[in-house]
Amino acid sequence: MVLLQPDPFLNELTNMYERTQDKGSVWVTLKRSSLKAKATRKKLESQGADVEYRCLVRATDGKKTISTSLSSKDHQRFQASYATVLRAHMNALKKRERKDKKKIAEGDKKQGGHLNKPSSKPSV
Amino acid sequence: MVYITSWDEFVERSVQLFRTDPQSSRYVMKYRHCDGKLILKVTDNRECLKFKTDQAQDAKKMEKLNNIFFTLMARGPDADITEVSGKEQAETQPSKKGRGRRQ
Repeated sequence: MVLLQPDPFLNELTNMYERTQDKGSVWVTLKRSSLKAKATRKKLESQGADVEYRCLVRATDGKKTISTSLSSKDHQRFQASYATVLRAHMNALKKRERKDKKKIAEGDKKQGGHLNKPSSKPSV
Repeated sequence: MVYITSWDEFVERSVQLFRTDPQSSRYVMKYRHCDGKLILKVTDNRECLKFKTDQAQDAKKMEKLNNIFFTLMARGPDADITEVSGKEQAETQPSKKGRGRRQ
């Protein structure tokens, strides 16, 4: 398991998404962790000290695993970059065109709609 | 493993699950480009909630959910997530930045 800084992690994550375009999956796990052993954590809590929690992000393509740990300051910046990475790569999902009734009407005129639902209105 | 059909129900239950046990809850996302499928899972190792989709619009909703989870995890389970401009709007604060004329 490779522990990286947030920025290299994002680069590796991008590579992972690109590698699995034709085959394979990408798993991303998000978990809260203080990265300390249970005993140490309990001791800190009983002393009344603040246990610093971090956000652990792990990503794997089934073969290779990468991870990074974010503090509350890092998470805002990471979340923006992470969202960009996701948006750039998750384009295999279907786009819905159900709500466009106008489009269906136009599509009937053009007769080119390959995404027409079977329950679409017949053209008048 | 329970597959939830409604997005809103998934979000509400997963946030609730996280808040009850932030120490052992985790949020997993699996994406397969070749199949065009996205699966989300939230579990605390006792109960498990899943959501699967192949719709692009759900990817956008998932981004918002990511923001919610990042906030909850980094700042603590009692963090105020209303500022994530999303799901929970229990207390809408009036915006202090006044664009209009104020006298």
